[in-house]
Amino acid sequence: MSKYLRNTFSDFWASKVSKIGVFFLFIVITVSIYTLITFPLDYGVRYWNNPKYWVDNPKAAMPQWVNSFLGGGLLDHQIISTSVPQRSYPSGIYYMKFYEHVFDLKVDQFPTFLTLKLEKLVYYSSRTPTIKLFVTRPDNKTIELYRLVAEAPLPDEHPPYVRYAEEPKRILLSGETQLSYFLSEFLLKEYHVTFEPSEVTKIGYEKVIFGELYEDNFRPLKGKYIFTVLLHTLDSRDQIGKTTIIIGGQIYGFMGTDILGRDLSQGLLFGFPVALLIGFITSVLTTVIGASLGIIGGYIGGRLDDAIQRISDIMNNLPQLPLLIFLTFIFGGKLWVIVTVLVAFGWSTLVIVVRSMILQIKSSSLIEAAISLGASKWRIMAKHIFPQVAPYILSQMIFYTPSAILSEAALSFLGLGDPSIPTWGQILEYGFRNGAVFLGYWWWILPPGLLIVFSAVTFVFIALGLEPVVNPKLKRWR
Amino acid sequence: MVLLEIKDLKLYYKTMRGLLKAVDNIRLSLNKGETLGLVGESGCGKSSTAIAIMRLLPRNVGLFEGKIMFNGINLMDLSESEFREKIRWKKISMVFQGAMNSLNPVLKVGFQVAEPLILHQNMDKKEALKKAREMFKLVGLPPDFVDRYPHELSGGMKQRVVIAMALILNPEIVILDEPTSALDVSIQAQITNLLKNLKKELEVSMIFITHDIALASDMCDKIGVMYAGQIVELSSSENILLSPKHPYTQKLIASVPLLREEKMPEFIPGAPPDLVNPPKGCRFYPRCPYAERELEEKEPPLVEIEEDHFVKCWLYSG
Amino acid sequence: MFKGISLLLVLFSVLFLTVIVIGATGISDKILNGIIQDRLRAIRQQLSREIQNPEDLERALERIKEDLIRSYGLDKPWYIRMPDMIWRILMLDLGNSRTVRSFSGSNKISDIILERMPNTILLMVTVLIINFILSLVVGVKAATKPGSILDRFVSVYSAVSYALPSWWLGILMILVFAFYIKIFPFGGMYSTPPPTDPFMRSIDLIWHLCLPVLTLTIATSGSWIYITRSIVITTAQEDFVTTARAKGLPERLVLWRYIIRVAAPPILTNLILGLAFYLGGAILTETVFTWPGMGLLYFEAIMSVDEALILALTYIFTLIYIIARFILEILYVLVDPRVRYA
Repeated sequence: MSKYLRNTFSDFWASKVSKIGVFFLFIVITVSIYTLITFPLDYGVRYWNNPKYWVDNPKAAMPQWVNSFLGGGLLDHQIISTSVPQRSYPSGIYYMKFYEHVFDLKVDQFPTFLTLKLEKLVYYSSRTPTIKLFVTRPDNKTIELYRLVAEAPLPDEHPPYVRYAEEPKRILLSGETQLSYFLSEFLLKEYHVTFEPSEVTKIGYEKVIFGELYEDNFRPLKGKYIFTVLLHTLDSRDQIGKTTIIIGGQIYGFMGTDILGRDLSQGLLFGFPVALLIGFITSVLTTVIGASLGIIGGYIGGRLDDAIQRISDIMNNLPQLPLLIFLTFIFGGKLWVIVTVLVAFGWSTLVIVVRSMILQIKSSSLIEAAISLGASKWRIMAKHIFPQVAPYILSQMIFYTPSAILSEAALSFLGLGDPSIPTWGQILEYGFRNGAVFLGYWWWILPPGLLIVFSAVTFVFIALGLEPVVNPKLKRWR
Repeated sequence: MVLLEIKDLKLYYKTMRGLLKAVDNIRLSLNKGETLGLVGESGCGKSSTAIAIMRLLPRNVGLFEGKIMFNGINLMDLSESEFREKIRWKKISMVFQGAMNSLNPVLKVGFQVAEPLILHQNMDKKEALKKAREMFKLVGLPPDFVDRYPHELSGGMKQRVVIAMALILNPEIVILDEPTSALDVSIQAQITNLLKNLKKELEVSMIFITHDIALASDMCDKIGVMYAGQIVELSSSENILLSPKHPYTQKLIASVPLLREEKMPEFIPGAPPDLVNPPKGCRFYPRCPYAERELEEKEPPLVEIEEDHFVKCWLYSG
Repeated sequence: MFKGISLLLVLFSVLFLTVIVIGATGISDKILNGIIQDRLRAIRQQLSREIQNPEDLERALERIKEDLIRSYGLDKPWYIRMPDMIWRILMLDLGNSRTVRSFSGSNKISDIILERMPNTILLMVTVLIINFILSLVVGVKAATKPGSILDRFVSVYSAVSYALPSWWLGILMILVFAFYIKIFPFGGMYSTPPPTDPFMRSIDLIWHLCLPVLTLTIATSGSWIYITRSIVITTAQEDFVTTARAKGLPERLVLWRYIIRVAAPPILTNLILGLAFYLGGAILTETVFTWPGMGLLYFEAIMSVDEALILALTYIFTLIYIIARFILEILYVLVDPRVRYA
């Protein structure tokens, strides 16, 4: 037996295709395991479909490594936080705490947006503290950008008053009208040009904050920018737990982001175990059902066989995708529905082939001998018939896996997938629906598709490698 | 009158393990009106000889040389297109082993028989089919079978069709490769009779390939015994049958079961040699009852020990 | 004959199943209610012009509503309504769409489908013809020289095209050829506005046809070519081919009459089996390229949850599939004499 296995294995291993296939499979499995360990199982619902989680990311940003190809001219997304004030000193009866964030603009680009995030404000004084945001530019000009008064204490509250603890206070400065006035003033004072606040809004705050006016146009001003959050308060104990300045960049992360700001590398990673799972479960179930029915029908024959044949004939004649779409649409796009439907359409093709193999084996003298020795039907099927068809069944199972993966991807692409889990098809669906194609967001479109092809090709290669084992006629002489 | 004379014919195939010497230096001759039998075990090179004469070489030919004289012309000198135009099927045709598979399943059998006429003699289809009908009558098939498909015919009928197909252009030589092996015995007898009749009526010369020496002695005037790619004995069938000289021939005769005698048929121990690495000397040496050590290294020549009786054996070559 | 009956059985069972599924999940109730509401709204508009008293109006509408409910059978459970529904669909009385209008403004589903069907057929038939030619040329060429570079390329190409999702390929094509190289349009069947001159119109159509056809061809030709190649290789090794050569037939004749003609039935069988793929391909490709055919219609129907349209289209798709299978089975019988008297 072991010699048979060894021969089988060496036949399989002989071709280049098998080696590549197994290598790819190894990658897929490793990445899947890594993903399952690193991410929580409810990642889809908790993070992926939760826009709030991605709010601080740039939208539709390219992957970081693109920068090296484009000569480093793109702006990297930056999140600069600090929890400790750089300076703090009294000023009269007041207390000032300065939280500083340094940003070095090294490229000729304007940031895409600017956000101020405040977490865990704790104050003791009965007079609510004021928070101001300043920026000091490389040309030593300072602009006040934003002013905020903390929420007053409620009647039943006691000090210390805590604000922005469960939910950080997020101020998208790029959308705050306050800035239009501040910036209009700034332009008047520094450049002696008049820009109405509405005009400033049209130009875009980032251009004014990070640029210098040069012949009616704004050019990016490179150099060090210091963003200061000033906590103006009566009590020296008051403090902000964490202040963050987010400078919107054009590149982010390993695979970029989508239009929601989601880190595509995470979504893509999650696609691995999902694809593996769907492919595996679907193909195993399909094969088990199809093969069993084929063996039972072929061997036992009679009316049972007729019934099985009729049903599989009907199922074989059905057009798969329209009905797949229809059923998924009716029953909802949950994962188990998709698997069930795929299995339901898949088993019939296997039944017919297995059955004809069984018919041939049934009349062989081996089976005659076993029957005359008194073996029961089930024993014959299990011990004598099954091992002969096992290689074929195995190769069919592997061959069926990529089509399951592809079908799920197609369904997801049409919007019928399981929304609680990020899959490659879903990422593509979201991209297509939001016009990624027409806007040229190649990093959103290429990787998921490539990964689908990669995982499908893995199984195709392994199946091709198994062919000589199953079909000795195709064996090549070494 | 000598119709076909083969000298020093070699046909080697290229295989994964090396050069397979399927036909290794044989000589044969066929006279007009004669039936020459080519007898031997499977794998001895009989079919390859036929393929060599018909020049239906496969892709993996390693060596093909020798002299095949037909009506004074060396066929080996002809180019492929000359051979195709003048010789193949017109002068020399063939009935392949396994008639069942020699017929195209999607064409009517009459058309397949008529095809060479349409092709080579530019006959129109109606005329050609008429001739096909005549040929069918000749081989013992009802003429309206021309409209049937191969799957509508039995094995014996298909064999007759294939024979008709081979004869349609009135060739001078017909090679038949195991024409009866796949048939059951009663049909075998019918076909054998048919062939004998055809030989008489059409005066066609035949090369009859078979592993059954009894059948060969029935059908053929002359018999050549092949072993491991070589002719080991060549003579009239009476000589072969009644006074076989080569040990292999003797063993072949002895292995035929006799109806009226009680003697058990003998079998030949051992197996035919590997044609990629045949024995250096006499190829029958490993299985020969008269083998002597010294003769292992040298190959015996084919000598004429009496008139028209050739043997390739050290027993007769000093 | 037998095959025909079993195919019809398939059609029936699909219809049966579809209606059961729709009925049991309550969707058909929704559809009919929706239809009734629409009609009531239209009637209300009409009546309000005639009946001024609001109470009278409401009473009249109530009566009409009850009539409608009874006529649509909503007063009975769905399994009693089923036979009527099945009959109506079989007779191709497909009802109205809630969300989609035909280009001429009609709401009737049969109008909409009839408008879109030729577009789909144009796309599919073009791809079919190209695939056919490719498989004959490339597949046969590869088969006559097994092991050659072309042959190995064919094997790799088929494996890759099997794993390649046609819809992703389509997106890729648009990205490369429409966005970057800017040589083909992003989608649709004609430019907006379409050219008025018929010749320019056809050129415009062909220009728009290029990318979808290219995508579908690349995605589907792989298996066609590979199957052709495999079957031709097996056939070429048969004895009757050697016999044909022995008879002195020129190589070209041997190829056509003895190899290709004999290989045609099994190739055809495999194509029959792959037909279902085509339908799926239509839906996905039309969606990607915004090609106004039945596939895109199906997608739109799903997106807007237009139940009547979905039901009708599922049925029509199955019907077309059955018809196509039927035609292929007939072709098969014509080509392979062995099957004729079976």
